[in-house]
Amino acid sequence: MTNKVHLRTPVKIYTEGWVDTELVITDDSLIIGKQKISLGEIEDLEDIDVNGVSCIQIKKDSKIIIQLPGNIHQQVFRYIAFNLKADKFAVYFLPSATVGGVVSSAMQWEKGYFSVTDEGLWFLSSKNQQRIPVENLGSIKKDTREVGGKQKVVLVLSHVEKSNVVTSLIFCPESTLEMLENYLQRLFDKHKPSINLSENEKQILTLIYSGLDFASIENIIGISTDELNKYYDRLVDAGLAKVVKIRKEVELSPRGVSMVDKISKR
Amino acid sequence: MTRVLIVDDTAFMRKLLKNILFGAGFDIAGEAENGKQAVELYQKLRPDVVTMDVVMPEMTGLDALKQIKSVDKDAKIVMCTAIGQEQIVKTAIKLGARGYIIKPFQAPKVIEEIKKVVGA
Repeated sequence: MTNKVHLRTPVKIYTEGWVDTELVITDDSLIIGKQKISLGEIEDLEDIDVNGVSCIQIKKDSKIIIQLPGNIHQQVFRYIAFNLKADKFAVYFLPSATVGGVVSSAMQWEKGYFSVTDEGLWFLSSKNQQRIPVENLGSIKKDTREVGGKQKVVLVLSHVEKSNVVTSLIFCPESTLEMLENYLQRLFDKHKPSINLSENEKQILTLIYSGLDFASIENIIGISTDELNKYYDRLVDAGLAKVVKIRKEVELSPRGVSMVDKISKR
Repeated sequence: MTRVLIVDDTAFMRKLLKNILFGAGFDIAGEAENGKQAVELYQKLRPDVVTMDVVMPEMTGLDALKQIKSVDKDAKIVMCTAIGQEQIVKTAIKLGARGYIIKPFQAPKVIEEIKKVVGA
């Protein structure tokens, strides 16, 4: 049986620099140069940015980065997303129903697939291929929401997107919903960081999320600079925060003290 | 200066809101830790706006909202809810709440919503 070729296009592949080659997409595989990758063996897919250029990262054992001509990037991404190795469920979904707590009126229910790989969750439709990394998943729970003018039980996923807490909704037959909830809960538990936070640490995390500065956090929690620094170290070590700026603490040298003395005598 | 009454049963959340609002130039008229206290303080202080938590002991935020609106139909009340409580938000808006902010709070969103409600 011959495989139908769907697309043949020049492509750049990243291997310590960009190398020009060819991509061929058939019914069941991608052929990049001399490398054949079965679509069913692709474990994950991501749209990534390499030096300001939008690229596709394909994960199968190792990671492969390709750069396609702009006009077919989305088409290839969609094809791979629909065909990669994943558990796929036919659902209705409402991605990013709320962003940072604000209801996104622009978003609408779509008919498509909810696809689950080991590392990502996908909302797939002809116009939408949205990936949620499993580590960005915050919670999974059932709730009642309005779907097509009627109150229905849906699955509410809360996840993080560009530093915002986002909720997305899934609607499907209740038995599938139940199974999906259990399945996602197991996946979530597997990826959940095994760290127990103290009350202070939970509050500090919340304050950082709220956008408060170091001094305000010290003040609200009622701790010293050194103590807060230690909490920050622990949050960074646990992978819950990252250092973006290191403050300098200085004291005046004798010349500095002398300068202040002169200033105050003016 | 816009005077805000903060209503939340957790001291931590009150401190957080106080810090965000004070830093944005709002005046903190007072703090209440349950709905009953909120109704009493509202009548005494007549703040320009109230941030009202939903789940509180003694009297919930929705009940406090109803009572405040019954004594002052023009009261500007912003509900503070957790993610996933959209249904409560809808009920609150029907009862006369002017806006809502969702926990976990993000300072710019809180400020934006309060300014929108007071028309600043």
